[in-house]
Amino acid sequence: MACAADVVYQYDGSFEGFLSCVFESFLRKEIPFALYPDRAVRPTLFPVRVIPTNPARAARVFDSFEKKLGTRTRDLVTRAFLNDSPDKELILLRFLHFAYGQGPRAPWMQGHERVAPVLELEKAVNGEAHLLTGFVRFEQRGGALGAVIQPRHFVLPLLRRHFCNRYPGEDFVIWDKNHQAVLAVRQGRAEYLELAANPDLPPPDPEEARFQAMWQSFYDALAIPARLNPTLRRTHCPKRYWACMTELRDQL
Amino acid sequence: MAISQNGRAAWRDGKPPAAQFICGSGRGPAAFAPLSGAERTGVFMDLMEKLTILADSAKYDVACTSSGVDRGGAPGALGSCHAPGICHTFTADGRCLSLLKVLMTNICAYDCRYCINRRSEDRPRAAFTPEELAELTIQFYRRNYIEGLFLSSAVLVSPDYTMERMIRVLELLRGPHRFRGYIHAKTIPGADPALVRRIGLLADRLSVNIELPSEASLQLLAPDKQRAGILRPMGLIARTAAENRRELAVYRHAPAFAPAGQSTQMIVGASPESDYQILQLTEGLYQKYSLKRVFFSAYIPVCQDERLPALDTKPPLLREHRLYQADWLLRYYQFSAGEILSPEAPNFDPWLDPKCNWALHHLDQFPVDVERCSYEMLLRVPGIGPKSARRIRTARRHGRLGLEDLRRIGVVLRRARYFILCRGYAGPGRLSRVTVARALLDPGLFEAGVQQLSLFDDPAGRLTGPDSPALPAAAAGEEAAAWLAQRM
Repeated sequence: MACAADVVYQYDGSFEGFLSCVFESFLRKEIPFALYPDRAVRPTLFPVRVIPTNPARAARVFDSFEKKLGTRTRDLVTRAFLNDSPDKELILLRFLHFAYGQGPRAPWMQGHERVAPVLELEKAVNGEAHLLTGFVRFEQRGGALGAVIQPRHFVLPLLRRHFCNRYPGEDFVIWDKNHQAVLAVRQGRAEYLELAANPDLPPPDPEEARFQAMWQSFYDALAIPARLNPTLRRTHCPKRYWACMTELRDQL
Repeated sequence: MAISQNGRAAWRDGKPPAAQFICGSGRGPAAFAPLSGAERTGVFMDLMEKLTILADSAKYDVACTSSGVDRGGAPGALGSCHAPGICHTFTADGRCLSLLKVLMTNICAYDCRYCINRRSEDRPRAAFTPEELAELTIQFYRRNYIEGLFLSSAVLVSPDYTMERMIRVLELLRGPHRFRGYIHAKTIPGADPALVRRIGLLADRLSVNIELPSEASLQLLAPDKQRAGILRPMGLIARTAAENRRELAVYRHAPAFAPAGQSTQMIVGASPESDYQILQLTEGLYQKYSLKRVFFSAYIPVCQDERLPALDTKPPLLREHRLYQADWLLRYYQFSAGEILSPEAPNFDPWLDPKCNWALHHLDQFPVDVERCSYEMLLRVPGIGPKSARRIRTARRHGRLGLEDLRRIGVVLRRARYFILCRGYAGPGRLSRVTVARALLDPGLFEAGVQQLSLFDDPAGRLTGPDSPALPAAAAGEEAAAWLAQRM
């Protein structure tokens, strides 16, 4: 049984790094006070232990997910890790300590205090990814389609599957402004790029403005004045997405 | 080439409808008899202008869902479908916009009283050519503006002719453009069954609008449409879809007929039917025609007519909302129409949603033990929806459930606590109905900006329009509770 330890883990923010922390935590039979990624270290009174990313240990932990906890837990943890909440690591670690005791049934104990928060993390990621499958707006730029998004969570991997499936013949680029990451798909091959500075995209095609104007007028024409309900619109389509949506950009 | 009035001849030859049905493609008015003057202007109009006019004409069609079919992408093609549907944006009235919802044309041969596109109305008219509409759909789709196309049309010349033009668009999309996205097509009442079959093989969802909830209202307000004429294609679609399912069971690659099913829409508030009648009709449609969805549209006065509510009538939005709540109870909560409303109480309660209303009138069946009661009963507890009911069903196999667990599962305890037992919670004890009723009051009603409903209207007009001035939320809540207390 692991006990709470007065120590803070610091890791490199990658999923492998997190799995190394999990290994460390089980090795020492302790649950740290917090886990901080390098990019978001907060000052703390507790001693900080830097956990180096160890691919071999990470692989051992990851393999054990499926073997001991079942595929549902494996997918749940991988998905929930995409969440950007500052305490996701601790929530996941506490869940894993619980899950190794329970086995494959752990994710189905949906009301449990160790399980429910993980499901919340996963739900937020899935929810945002689903919204963005609709809210992403591509522009024809040069030979490719380009889009900018500003999501809370790191949903690019989830968008990749959707858009590669949808546009098999297109080259496209999705730039996640909040995480400074780019998903680039060229001739059916996808790659992720981490960015140091803003990318310089080719300018939009001249025809682009025409389609955007048509889309805008279509959007405006479809609202029924007698039913105007801005609150309802904000509920379904929160304002934080508007900056990247062609038809709503100007209403901000 | 001479074209018969209904254009059916080309179909009998077994050939696809050739370009002869396209009304011009920028090269000048083709040798084409049925083109009216108004349509000819439509042909040469700027695409932008057409889009605005034809979207504006289509906006009163409620259905804009892209759900019901899962279809992955394919190499060399464009598009995919996602079974739960995807909303691409939301209009200023808060409705989901997921399809390019336009009319093929708004030049109409009919003169329905409630419709903005009726023949006698003076408004700008336009018509898309099939090529430009297909191209527009593809360009919007590539930019991820839309999930697909919702194609409807006013009746141009004749139902058959109109359908042929719609089919032409769908053929262009599915053929040359290799479009695999969602297509919702409206079948035109009175069209030839062969055309309905053809369009069903191209579209994902079909719909026939039932328009008004009763034969009498239809006769009064839409003299050109007959109830039988609406129900016949609906039955045809249901039968063809059932046949198709059997075919698919035998031949996996048989072409799918409207895989996302069919839906319909009716206008609420233009005619005097009670909520009970509407709900009975809805249930009948689900059972008899296996519809996927029935949509309700609060009547918005667009035409001045002595047979219709006055132009300044507010749309009965609350009534529409309650109807959708009841519709959900029918589809997801295993309720029947007779349980929700009855001939004695034929209209919805303005203060309580239908499920809470049912629970209040069946307090003898509560409290239920969430750890052992049936799934059907879980669904009937206010504060527990299908999602949390399913979660409870799974979670209770793996451990006991207390109030805290239920809260984490997603149960709304503010409502549910009066109706349940669980570990460490022996139920609410003896309660007056009024206390319970107060806890169940629809919270949405008392948000800022929502107007107070008049309690003393006649029953038919009860949910039609908030005319009295807005009360502060708290005061309105108190008044509602007092009213409920009086009624209990």
